Amino acid sequence: MTVSTYSVTGMACGHCAESVTEELKRIAGVTAAVVDVDSGTVAVTSDGVLQAADVRAAIEEAGYELRTEQM
Amino acid sequence: MRTLGSDPERFLIDFYTSFTEDLLQTDEDAALIVDRYHTPDIVEIADGHRLDRDRLIAHTRPVRKNRPTLRMEVHDAVAEGDRLAARYTLHSSQRGKDLAIEVYFFGRFAPDGRMRQAHMTTRSVPVQGSGERGQATP
Repeated sequence: MTVSTYSVTGMACGHCAESVTEELKRIAGVTAAVVDVDSGTVAVTSDGVLQAADVRAAIEEAGYELRTEQM
Repeated sequence: MRTLGSDPERFLIDFYTSFTEDLLQTDEDAALIVDRYHTPDIVEIADGHRLDRDRLIAHTRPVRKNRPTLRMEVHDAVAEGDRLAARYTLHSSQRGKDLAIEVYFFGRFAPDGRMRQAHMTTRSVPVQGSGERGQATP
């Protein structure tokens, strides 16, 4: 199991968090996504290592912007 | 821009409708649009999450990307001085999903109609209803 944390801009409320979570969970191997709106971060739990491009695409599909992956 | 005046329901609907239209129907710099509708010291607290000017501007990106259709159904609105309190349901459709969000709103506005401060508590309600018990769906 891998947990990666990403910095995401544009989230304002719980409804934003739901949109981002929903898109991230569509990525194969993702088992959970937990958004912290106030810090602008999302912790993604997956079975294996995720491709940054897949995570970026999912977040952008929801309308938001991936800033960085935090180690 | 309309001032708070004696019709707080109309004021609130016009405020959000006009703000959203400016974002969705123009390519104007989002910061300029946000500043047209909010004072520089704007603080909004939505479900405990704090939004200042910079975060409000950042939040315009998903709005512009997702291009929601919005309709406000105001159930109650009262104004006194620069303050407005309202309960409304925001009917939204975006990315193939219909949403209905009931909002309890307390805000303060500048004399020129710009928002200075807002506190909001929201909850999702069934899309078919308005959150207003016993009210027919239009």
